[in-house]
Amino acid sequence: MPELVPSLLRQELEALAANDQRIDGRGRWESRDIKLETDCLYNAEGSAKVTWGDTIIYAGVKFEIRTPWPDRPTQGSLMCGAELRPVAGRKYEPGPPSPQSIELGRVVDRGIRESGCIDMDSLCIIPGEKVLGIMIDIHVLSDKGNIFDACALGAIAALRTAIVPAERFDIGEDYPLSVSMTPTMCSFTRVGGRYVLDANEEEELGGDERIHITLGDEGHLHSLQKGLKGTFTPAEFDEILGVAQQRCAELANLVNSKEE
Amino acid sequence: MGGYGDVKLLREDGLRLDGRKVDEMREVKVEAGILPAADGSAWVKHGLNVAVCAVYGPMEAHPRKIQRQDRAVIDVRYNMAPFSTSDRIRPGFNRRSREISKVTAEALESVVLVERYPRSKIRVEIEILAAEAGTRCVGITAAAVALADAGIPMRDLIVGVASGKIEDTVVLDLDKAEDNYGQADLPMGILPTTGEIAFLQMDGDLSVEEYNTCMEYNLKAAREIHELMVDALKRRYIEKNGGEA
Repeated sequence: MPELVPSLLRQELEALAANDQRIDGRGRWESRDIKLETDCLYNAEGSAKVTWGDTIIYAGVKFEIRTPWPDRPTQGSLMCGAELRPVAGRKYEPGPPSPQSIELGRVVDRGIRESGCIDMDSLCIIPGEKVLGIMIDIHVLSDKGNIFDACALGAIAALRTAIVPAERFDIGEDYPLSVSMTPTMCSFTRVGGRYVLDANEEEELGGDERIHITLGDEGHLHSLQKGLKGTFTPAEFDEILGVAQQRCAELANLVNSKEE
Repeated sequence: MGGYGDVKLLREDGLRLDGRKVDEMREVKVEAGILPAADGSAWVKHGLNVAVCAVYGPMEAHPRKIQRQDRAVIDVRYNMAPFSTSDRIRPGFNRRSREISKVTAEALESVVLVERYPRSKIRVEIEILAAEAGTRCVGITAAAVALADAGIPMRDLIVGVASGKIEDTVVLDLDKAEDNYGQADLPMGILPTTGEIAFLQMDGDLSVEEYNTCMEYNLKAAREIHELMVDALKRRYIEKNGGEA
């Protein structure tokens, strides 16, 4: 099935693209509806559920006390991982983390880390002995396309609403984690020869390469990734970057609206 | 069972720490058909536990060595999300989740009409998103609703329930503290229409009389949860038919 369907689907997607149409009737730069819920997981210190069209993901933040790395005695740590377990769709198999899930986790991780939204020195409890480690785990429950953007949105929303469980660690009173920025991701997929925003499952199946762009508050670039086989021109990148500038600002507003 | 002994689990007035009576279960909510990618799915909140289940199939069973000529195999994965407990869990299978997956699969095989689908496989993916004692039972309940939502024929729904013993008193549906410091835990998967039992585990210390009381509580709870499961499936059916029953 994974071989036969795309070739038929590909023809249909190409015919639609020739008329500047998409398979679900959206415009080229139009996203599906997004619903963001925060503080929705009982045992997580920060959490978010993202319903992005028919794609559903959860992100949860946990903290741990750890010893700092010898060369950075005052710095805490941040780690973001994604799991593409078989629950997420028919195509996912059980087993050790797949290259796809590792890529997903690392691209989301870089966007958050490199934006500098977490001051690693603020996570220091006792220099050289005790620092806080932040772990963001992303759980994809339903993959109907563009899990990257959904996971990035869930991760930053969970982080921005996280409470450090200081009482449990015996280091004072619980306090909200300080996060100075709202980096968000926009992904584009080549479908029928041209890039579209927020590809759905069929467009991913019958499409080509994808580009993930993570932008911070000032519209600065913090993480880029090209995935799958294919090439693009600088002019094409300029065009999608322009779309991303506008779209990421809207996504950041959505995340920020979830905080008191 | 932990059985540390000194922790008070019953109040002076005979109620439990969270105010429940001994034979009162935590609040249960059930939704069917919540995951668009799955053939059938369910969400169950039981107290503070949250389980989500996706069902895929029946589909071709592979690798071929797992195929059965006369029936479907049920492939269950019970998994706790890393953020589901107070200390983060390292992702991946462990001995506990493997054992629960195995006995859950065997329980589901006893209710699904597996002989209808020879040489095929039905995948049941149970994901625990929040854990507060009793997750295997919540997972079984969610799996039953998800299988029904996928249109897979079953002899009956199967309901996960548990009773146990705290301070020498039998109570229904242990919460986290009661599970950690109590004296016994008896989780069961019950077919509410016939009263048959398809899933059974127990640990701790129970007299025969105490076991009988647990059994009585479990049957009562299974019937209550069964109604909620049927309701959720009916709501889902009405939704699919655009508001028509």
